[in-house]
Amino acid sequence: MKAHRVIAMLAALLAVVVLGACGSDDSESSGDTAGGSTATATATAQPSPAVGETVGPAGEKATPTSELELTPEEIEKIKSGNHTAALVWHQSSDFVNAVSRGAKDQFAELGIDVVAETQANFDAGKQKSDIETVMAKRPDALLSLPVDPTATASAYRGAVEAGANLVLLSNVPSGFVQGKDYVTVVTDDLFEMGHQAADALAAAIGGKGKVAYFFHDAEYYVTNQRDEAFKQTIEQNYPDIEIVAEQGIADPAKAEEQANAILVKNPDLDGIYVTFSQPPAEGVLSALRNAGNTKTKMVSLDLDEVLAIDMAKGGNTAALIADRAYELGQAMAKSAAYGILGKEAPEFLVAPVITVTKDNLEAGYQESLNEAPPKAVLDALG
Amino acid sequence: MSTAPSTGQAPRREADPRGSVLARARRVDPRQYVVYVAFLLILAFFAITLHDDGFLTSDNLLNIARQTAPITVMAVGMVFVLSAGEIDLSIGSIVALAALVTAIVLRDVGLVPAVAAGLGVGAAVGLVNGLFVTLLRLPSFLVTLATMGLVAGLARWTTDLEAVAVVDDTFANVFGSGDVGPIPGLVIWTIAIVALGHFVYRHRRFGAHVLAIGDNADAARVTGIDVNRVRLAVLVISGTAAGLAGLLYVGRIQAASYTLGASDLLIVIAAVVIGGTRLFGGAGSVVGALVGSLIMGMLTNGLILMGLDSNQQMVAQGVLLLIAISLTLREPKGA
Repeated sequence: MKAHRVIAMLAALLAVVVLGACGSDDSESSGDTAGGSTATATATAQPSPAVGETVGPAGEKATPTSELELTPEEIEKIKSGNHTAALVWHQSSDFVNAVSRGAKDQFAELGIDVVAETQANFDAGKQKSDIETVMAKRPDALLSLPVDPTATASAYRGAVEAGANLVLLSNVPSGFVQGKDYVTVVTDDLFEMGHQAADALAAAIGGKGKVAYFFHDAEYYVTNQRDEAFKQTIEQNYPDIEIVAEQGIADPAKAEEQANAILVKNPDLDGIYVTFSQPPAEGVLSALRNAGNTKTKMVSLDLDEVLAIDMAKGGNTAALIADRAYELGQAMAKSAAYGILGKEAPEFLVAPVITVTKDNLEAGYQESLNEAPPKAVLDALG
Repeated sequence: MSTAPSTGQAPRREADPRGSVLARARRVDPRQYVVYVAFLLILAFFAITLHDDGFLTSDNLLNIARQTAPITVMAVGMVFVLSAGEIDLSIGSIVALAALVTAIVLRDVGLVPAVAAGLGVGAAVGLVNGLFVTLLRLPSFLVTLATMGLVAGLARWTTDLEAVAVVDDTFANVFGSGDVGPIPGLVIWTIAIVALGHFVYRHRRFGAHVLAIGDNADAARVTGIDVNRVRLAVLVISGTAAGLAGLLYVGRIQAASYTLGASDLLIVIAAVVIGGTRLFGGAGSVVGALVGSLIMGMLTNGLILMGLDSNQQMVAQGVLLLIAISLTLREPKGA
């Protein structure tokens, strides 16, 4: 973990040096009603009626990941085939690590060997190279999150033509047809994430007051759906909550400055929604701290160490809505087996979501990432 | 270090490229050759450890050659820039902007204007860099740091972060996706640019001037070299090379996106410096930069094929780079 962190810091430094060019859309996301918010998830929030549902990148209807099933005969058949798989990610992060772990554990159960793993730093050119490189090992399955649907289409085309069963996370390359070019696409229950964020924020501020809405200002269906779900849920289910400020975050690194301005204009805010935790919600949190504000409650999406510590200490952070990243990985690996077997997979799968608050912090980390919270978070819990 | 030349030649005349100052500037550094040894060692290392994993297949070796083509093209430009004692941090951003402009013009106008526009964007940014460096006498590090952000912002703004697809087969075939017989077009681009760069660098007066300025700008000025003109020219060359790299990316992935080139700057600098070009000017090698670029590509490729996860790949790449740099760049005592 320590080593990971040092490497992550070095990588961050590098990223700063190369600054201009990197505009990472943080694509981590989340959420599903279907698989089930657990009892712990509702420790502080009561679910309000759903005002919409998650749809796929091309409007596909969602199927919960829990519906994937392999029979013992199918598992035996896969095991005896000596199959291989490669993981081609868009970047490296806690989220990607958890998805990778889920996929690798599931592949191990199926006797499928993971022969290569890459991450592209959000660079479409590098992702194309990564795909070409891993294809030298002729994997039967390719698990991937395309950096960009348009810019990576040609790269995936080559892999599909070489016979790899493609299982996608969140993004689908342009022009690709499910069942023909790729096995299926898996993502979080996006709408449910935004929905639970609204419920959690409403619970934290007692169901009424003024809130600010920091949304991701980019064409990205993952964050767009989550943000929209938050807004719709507040507007339709919570008539006493007023969104008094809306701020688009185009550059996630600049959220703190934007939050400073919003806090100056609206010193009496009750709550803040931030589109994702790392880095924008961390930026908003430091803006709150700089302003000496201990009253405004914040809700964001995706687990994050800084925010989790703040939450554990009873700070501004009221809840983090997390996806079950580990389960996403498992579902991708199972879907790959569908592809290898030639079994028809659902066209669009969503993994469940949980609301993590101070009350279920430890269990929430386990459910989402299949690992304990970082030590600093546990220490902060006391 | 070298003082003003005392050859007594008419200072106005361009000195013979083999004249004293210039000869000293281009003197061959034996450490340059270590890069070839490093290349062979790394190749042998991966060939042995990965003999079952497809590393030595012709497909994979061609992959490496294809993937490094844009890096090599930028590296050739960077050899001129570093040799002149300057630096260009804006190349990664130029790749993105040139790629997007090319893709848009290709979609809306046509092939020839698209190529001209892409190269033009690169040359124009290089010209802006060069004018600030020469007219206002600003350090190229700061000027290109500023244009790096500026150009990246323009690239994001151009299409509001949307990628642009390229459906023109002729363009794709010429710039990256096509083959000539068994040889990928990108390999031909690489060879052509390296050959052109090497010729100008080693066999034209301009190359000698670049080295002379990087070695000692004041001395070069005394010999009659127009220092500002050369500085401007190396930055235009570098910008144009980055523009061409942008075209090659567009041809290869058949789309343009603002993220193209994002991770290229440090790789290019590493490739050039490993290849024997001094970071602070005065010595360099175009062919060495090609080999440096292939080393970088081979490292990425080989470490992926070894099945390391991405964090381990970063660590291993760092370790191997340190070894390669120690071999190729160790300054002799007293240098």
